Amino acid sequence: MIDTDLAIIGAGAAGLAAATEAVEHGLTVTIADDNPRAGGQYFRQPPLPFRRNGQSWFDKEATRANALFDVLGHPKVTHIPDAVVWNLPEPNVLAVAAGDRSTRVRAGAIVVATGAHDRPVPFPGWTLPGVITAGGAQNLLKGNRMVPGRRIVVAGNGPLLFVVGASLVRAGVDVAAIVEAAPVNARLTAALPGLLAAPKLLRQAIDYRWTLLRAGVPVRTGMTAVAAHGEENVNAVSIAPIDGEGRIDRNRIERVDCDALVVGFGLTPSVELMRLIGCDLDFHPARGGWLPRRSTGFETSVPGVFAAGDGAAIGGVEIALLEGRLAALEAAVRLGRARDASVRRAALTHKLARIDRFRRAIERLFAAPCHYLDLLADDTVVCRCEEVTAGELKMRGREAWTSMVQLKSTTRLAMGRCQGRNCMATLASLVAQSMGEPIAKLAYPRTRPPARPIALGDLLHEPIAPPELPADPHLPRGQKVT
Amino acid sequence: MADLPKDTDILVIGAGIAGLCSALYLARAGRTVAVVERGEPWGDASGANAGTLSLQVKRPEVLHITRRAIELWQDFKADFGIDVGFGRPGGLRVATNAREVDMLRHSQAEQRTLGIEVEWLDGNRLRDTAPWLGPTVLAATWCDWDSYSSPLQAGRALIDGARRDGVAVIGGAAVTAIAKETKGYRVTTALGVIACNTLVIAAGAWSGEVAAILGVTLPVSADVNMLSVTEPAPHLIDKVVTHIGGILSLKQYPNGTCLIGGGWQGQGGLASGRKEIDHEQLMHNFRVAIGVVPALANLRLVRSWSGFEGVAADALPLFGPLPGRPAAYVNACARGGYSQGPALGLLMAELISAGRTSLPMERFYPARFAS
Ligand SMILES: Cc1cc2nc3c(=O)[nH]c(=O)nc-3n(C[C@H](O)[C@H](O)[C@H](O)COP(=O)(O)OP(=O)(O)OC[C@H]3O[C@@H](n4cnc5c(N)ncnc54)[C@H](O)[C@@H]3O)c2cc1C
Ligand SMILES: Cc1cc2nc3c(=O)[nH]c(=O)nc-3n(C[C@H](O)[C@H](O)[C@H](O)COP(=O)(O)OP(=O)(O)OC[C@H]3O[C@@H](n4cnc5c(N)ncnc54)[C@H](O)[C@@H]3O)c2cc1C
Repeated sequence: MIDTDLAIIGAGAAGLAAATEAVEHGLTVTIADDNPRAGGQYFRQPPLPFRRNGQSWFDKEATRANALFDVLGHPKVTHIPDAVVWNLPEPNVLAVAAGDRSTRVRAGAIVVATGAHDRPVPFPGWTLPGVITAGGAQNLLKGNRMVPGRRIVVAGNGPLLFVVGASLVRAGVDVAAIVEAAPVNARLTAALPGLLAAPKLLRQAIDYRWTLLRAGVPVRTGMTAVAAHGEENVNAVSIAPIDGEGRIDRNRIERVDCDALVVGFGLTPSVELMRLIGCDLDFHPARGGWLPRRSTGFETSVPGVFAAGDGAAIGGVEIALLEGRLAALEAAVRLGRARDASVRRAALTHKLARIDRFRRAIERLFAAPCHYLDLLADDTVVCRCEEVTAGELKMRGREAWTSMVQLKSTTRLAMGRCQGRNCMATLASLVAQSMGEPIAKLAYPRTRPPARPIALGDLLHEPIAPPELPADPHLPRGQKVT
Repeated sequence: MADLPKDTDILVIGAGIAGLCSALYLARAGRTVAVVERGEPWGDASGANAGTLSLQVKRPEVLHITRRAIELWQDFKADFGIDVGFGRPGGLRVATNAREVDMLRHSQAEQRTLGIEVEWLDGNRLRDTAPWLGPTVLAATWCDWDSYSSPLQAGRALIDGARRDGVAVIGGAAVTAIAKETKGYRVTTALGVIACNTLVIAAGAWSGEVAAILGVTLPVSADVNMLSVTEPAPHLIDKVVTHIGGILSLKQYPNGTCLIGGGWQGQGGLASGRKEIDHEQLMHNFRVAIGVVPALANLRLVRSWSGFEGVAADALPLFGPLPGRPAAYVNACARGGYSQGPALGLLMAELISAGRTSLPMERFYPARFAS
């Protein structure tokens, strides 16, 4: 068991910023992340022994990144890489699976900074080889300097599409089209004042857009991918316009040839650990779905557990950096160790408010224009692990469509190795739609550990006292605490 | 969702294995049956359980019930057209130290006197039978009755099957009050009132609570059993594995996932309704499992959960008429009650419709606790 003042889950922008703030208040920090190297998504590093040379376009953030990584060398910081925090067996204890370094961490306070994952949206052909997610494509580029194809369509909804598109262009790929569902051009004027709140971010966005323009990439807004085609690999994608009422016009389908399709329908916060310990969650589609309810001090409903960054609400890297700092500051206050708390809080909050205006403008710009369930065909696989189709779900649904819990147990949906990450959101939408209830009202099946799959063998290493064995296994085993 | 009927001949409280099997066989005997369930049908112990149908792990008192039950499990498809994901690969009950080897010998001898033969395996014969067992396993007994069924498939199939046979299975209908009428009972549920001639309490770990509504005290407590499942893996463990110390149950399903249990206790209890994972108990469970089958160390854990298993004070089934309450019965708290469920359901149907059972059951009557 490691004892620490502050435990941080996730060494991305938010987690690293939290660690930096925490050591400034003299806290001991243990930061665990499931990647071999720190950085999370935005500041993802290539695997060792590769190093950034600071030269390429992809390294434009190298200075900022290296400054963040510095904190890992601080004497008060313990970084556990390749480490999955798989459970919070008590609200102040982390269970960490990390091969022979597996352990538990007992903390005075916890900052959950687990980031996000791509929101899965099933449509015909989404499981074909050659179809990958926007986040996955960015990882491939940043982590491995690899591209998923030679002629690529990037489709879906959200600002990440433009980031991915520009990155692919920079990597020398022929981007056949960007297909953005939201009518962003029509919404631009209204969004402009908000966008101007953060000129640096706006300039960055313009840079992405300019990169695409210069490369002559067609940007098709107000359209969505409706199907990916191909046998062994995707070789074309059908796209269709969305009208003002959010209807997909299937009479005006166009086909675009490609050898890879990158799809991104936005991100979803990774809230599994917070679900596990019973943090209250609220449903906010614009911020990615289910989010932990947080106080103004970034504390969840479980005392001592703070949440920051994309793992708490989708907001992008700049917000993650500020929230990470603020959450650690509030944790230091909670532990009675904060220095200059009110001055620092005021400065950080001021910056956050400005970037938040930018974020809200981006959100309005990219607000989803149609219902993604309209993309489903009966034979579309919704659950990839157990291969459950939309048609099968609807059939079970007609018999007894009363709850997610029930559908889960009658279809095995969400019980496979993805632990529901790929299918739960679709399941919720389907149940909500057929019951005429808002998603926010649905009872979710209980989340159970592990938060992510872990090797059983990892768990042999943690030292624990030998068990008491039952004298007669048939007799009641007797409960522990009630 | 089905509506609550105004009346029924027989009302079963609880839609787990005990309630559904009682209902199924009663319907087959020509009776009109409704099952009222507090939550989702199959939503408690029966839905959470490991699906192991092991004969040789059972207490001597219930060996014959269990053997009958495994026959019924096997015949579900033929009898009812119900596919419960049954498999009968046989099972190994292992011993990993000298004391456990003695216990295993003793158990084998005891089972023999009851007419149930299990085969002793050690040394090369054991390794040939199960090359995937680890070196800590010194001996095992082999029982060709040991089987499994898929709780997920079984639940769906039993509910569908019961409905096909005319049983009303109604979820969201927690029983809150029961009044004695001149003939039968008036039962108040969350969905309204239903009258019946005969009542069967099959409310698992909550059977004590329900019996208390009728003023009958049943000494019931609940274990909080934990269970874990791995990602699918290539087929390796081709038998049901159990442990003489009662600390492991392990098998690999046809879809490749491995289920690891063994009665290790989670945290919580009936009073709070909490059923949480206990970190250290779970670690012990995995260590025992990996000791017995080392290859498990390479598999990834996908989910651990826990459920309430009702147990009577003497750990024997609560089966039979409720003392002093005419036409009211209980069918609950059999240890490893999933395995025994079909037989206990059939026997309950016999008792209610014919007044006698094809296996001797008096020793399990709740009257044994009446002081
Ligand atoms: C795949 C992907 C790629 C992205 N690429 C870009 C991009 O190129 N440009 C851009 O502007 N934005 C990108 N984003 C958006 C990105 O989420 C934010 O910009 C930024 O990275 C948020 O920082 P964060 O610290 O909140 O989360 P992250 O940077 O995601 O950091 C969270 C870290 O926590 C780790 N973690 C999560 N759960 C656990 C656990 N249980 N145990 C241990 N570790 C855990 C994660 O592996 C990750 O390293 C991407 C998002 C995703 C999902
Ligand atoms: C994790 C775990 C693993 C197990 N593994 C095995 C195994 O491998 N093999 C084996 O043989 N056994 C196993 N068992 C034991 C087995 O699951 C139980 O013995 C069996 O399922 C009990 O069935 P039941 O129908 O009596 O109870 P349950 O399945 O619990 O059903 C009782 C039902 O009654 C309902 N109810 C309660 N109160 C009311 C009320 N007031 N009104 C209406 N309804 C009510 C409940 O909601 C519940 O659905 C395991 C148990 C657990 C928890």
